[in-house]
Amino acid sequence: MKDPVVLDFPVEGEDFLAAGEASSSVKDTLKMLGVPSSICRRAAIITYEAEMNLVIHAGGGMLRARIDEEKVVLVTEDQGPGIADIDQAMREGYSTASDQVREMGFGAGMGLPNIKRNADRLDIESTVGQGTILTASIYFVGEPQPSA
Amino acid sequence: MTVREVLEKIGAEVLCDAGADRPVKGAVVGDLLSFVMGNASEGAVWVTVVAHANVAAVAVLKDMPCILIAADREAAPDFIERCRREEIAVGRSPRSPFDLCGALWELGLRGEG
Repeated sequence: MKDPVVLDFPVEGEDFLAAGEASSSVKDTLKMLGVPSSICRRAAIITYEAEMNLVIHAGGGMLRARIDEEKVVLVTEDQGPGIADIDQAMREGYSTASDQVREMGFGAGMGLPNIKRNADRLDIESTVGQGTILTASIYFVGEPQPSA
Repeated sequence: MTVREVLEKIGAEVLCDAGADRPVKGAVVGDLLSFVMGNASEGAVWVTVVAHANVAAVAVLKDMPCILIAADREAAPDFIERCRREEIAVGRSPRSPFDLCGALWELGLRGEG
């Protein structure tokens, strides 16, 4: 693979039906590129949780997957409400999802923790009232692998 | 054991038999998608009371070959359609999630790997 493979997905807010399509596509692309299936699954989990965050919390946004020979980098960018306290948002069980969303099985407060567990690196930049940029990377070799 | 054999042995109604010849390697139970996302292992049968398109999406991403709907809960048509497309079998049973897990346990299925 000489040039990196870049996949861009616009994600609509509140579109629960289409949600999961970006993650399926990222997973299929990684598989096609011969990436080991454990890494494909980790990337799929990160993409799905990040995608759902755009759908549930951010009113939509952009999701980009960039795959090169060493790593896959997953980035979401939105103009949503932002995260006031990132440490709190990272805590398992903490969620601001509505009751309606919870009834669908979302809002367990495990999205960001699941992302962190499956990423080798995670950066979140967020400004309240302006939006959030989340960058999660998985290295194919050379970085310590999380146990999940 | 294949998905088809599992569904037959526990007497589940088969709502979608796509991919039913895949092997079953374990089981997981839960209705919180992120919980299942974080805890299910590849090849697991997933016992749940929620059945909408996002449940299918999680099963695809975690390589789960079968969703087993407990307590005769309703399955949306777009959910069944998505499962058929993704080759995920769907079974349904009037039994509670607890009892279904008991039946799967008796078949030798476990939660770990």
